[in-house]
Amino acid sequence: MRVQAPYELPDEKREQRRHAVRLEWATLAWMGSIVAVIGLAMGSSQAMKAAWVEDLLSLVPPIGFLVATRVEGRPPTERFPYGYRRAMSISFLLAAVALFLFGALLLADSILQLVRREHPTIGAVEIAGRTVWSGWVMIAALAYSVVPPMLLGRRKLPLAGALHDKTLHADASMNRADWLTGASGIAGVLGVGLGWWWADAVAAGVISIAILTDGARHLGRVVEDLMDRRPQTVEGEEPHPVVERVRGALAALPWVRSAEVRLREEGHVLVGEAFLAASDTSDLPSKIARAAEIADDVDWRVHEVVVTVVPDGDGAGEPASER
Amino acid sequence: MTRTLWAGLALLPLLACGLPRDPEGTLERVRREGIRVGLSDADPWVTLGGGPPRGVEVALVLELARRLGARVHWHPGDLEGRLAALHERELDLVAGGLTVDSPWGKRVALTRPYYVESMLVGAAPGTAPPGTLRDARVAVEAGSGMAARVRERGAVPIEVPRLPGGRPLLAAPGWRLAAWRYRPMGEPLQRREHVLAVAPGENAWLLRIEELLRDREDWVARRLTDQGPP
Repeated sequence: MRVQAPYELPDEKREQRRHAVRLEWATLAWMGSIVAVIGLAMGSSQAMKAAWVEDLLSLVPPIGFLVATRVEGRPPTERFPYGYRRAMSISFLLAAVALFLFGALLLADSILQLVRREHPTIGAVEIAGRTVWSGWVMIAALAYSVVPPMLLGRRKLPLAGALHDKTLHADASMNRADWLTGASGIAGVLGVGLGWWWADAVAAGVISIAILTDGARHLGRVVEDLMDRRPQTVEGEEPHPVVERVRGALAALPWVRSAEVRLREEGHVLVGEAFLAASDTSDLPSKIARAAEIADDVDWRVHEVVVTVVPDGDGAGEPASER
Repeated sequence: MTRTLWAGLALLPLLACGLPRDPEGTLERVRREGIRVGLSDADPWVTLGGGPPRGVEVALVLELARRLGARVHWHPGDLEGRLAALHERELDLVAGGLTVDSPWGKRVALTRPYYVESMLVGAAPGTAPPGTLRDARVAVEAGSGMAARVRERGAVPIEVPRLPGGRPLLAAPGWRLAAWRYRPMGEPLQRREHVLAVAPGENAWLLRIEELLRDREDWVARRLTDQGPP
């Protein structure tokens, strides 16, 4: 079995990746502290429970990213001739499924609480010798939970774009949206304080819907990813221009009459096939080897394009001048 | 977006006055109409039978009523019935020797513990306690649930109908040991955190009660010893 050549990140990307890894460790530390703080302040508020679950789930993408970063860098072996790069997509899949399931469970729980007309009890806590309403402690914990993820998310988002890393991007956008969780939780606790018993369940419902939709959206993207969908931009909406750039570079070769290209994403790396119709087939092996090199050089993300020559009239796309 | 967030948070102190409120206005209502208290016999916390209710928790409730300037309407009966009524908010408060471990904690609101009762092994006055509990013969009141706790410590429980019965070693609550002048030894076998039950979700009412229950350990301890040895 011919094992794929290992992929090397260019130096500047390696530095960016190291930065991303540091930020993800920082995320784990901060989110860990937030989970602890909210866990202590939680009491019997459904909204706090939802916020706690959401913050707990926020630990999954960074862990997935850190583990996948280690695993995907391993060179391909006989057993895994295409390498370990799918590890990133798999970690993304696990995170998305976790989000989706927990969001659904929390939503069901919140609806049940409303239907049963359960009035949440938020009593007193002793602080520095004074009896204080626990709601204030909960609000303080929620306010604390809002700031670190927003700041971290803001720093991670541009890195996710530069590294074209979908897990990092999903993680960063979830962090940035954390203000909604904190605000809903605070609104829920304040609502209960004002005597609206249903405010807690409603706030919990809002938070769980946010988790659920996040999970559903990411689940859709990673399933497409694993189905080898065409390369798209990191936000996931537009077809990525790199495909056309590779095709154009190959079609521009003097011995090539026309070129077609088929690429897929494996993590942040692009691999695929190129189908060339040749006008001059002399010395083909070295021409093909050179073509493969040219394709690789188009973008730092392109790793292995297997070049093959097809007969004329095989529908190998339009000639270079027409595209 | 962040600016609206900060503006909202800045308004918080204004809201803070008067929070929390009762969804059903219990605190306001009990001042006008009196406190509806469910009682269940649980000596020495609630003692019923012949005459007005007595007991540690009854005394706490009377103190609460005095502070609020409210009347008290007693509703004695079975514990399950009282707690079910509390859940439906047909009662405002239930006293019945409940502890923080009560499974009813999910359906009604339990206050913070007003007293922690420690179950200890005590040595009779004038006797020398053994160095270790291992294989020691410790008297326990039959049906009190202490036999299992004594066994956990490697001692041998002797079930007797009544304590102290002149036993050299027995297991009982710390306040009873004090009344009998038995000397406690070793770590507590069990801790029971005593609470009152309040209608769920009435947070202003709960807060008021919990303010009263603060720092009551000594007050309760005195009441328990005042009762005299049973």
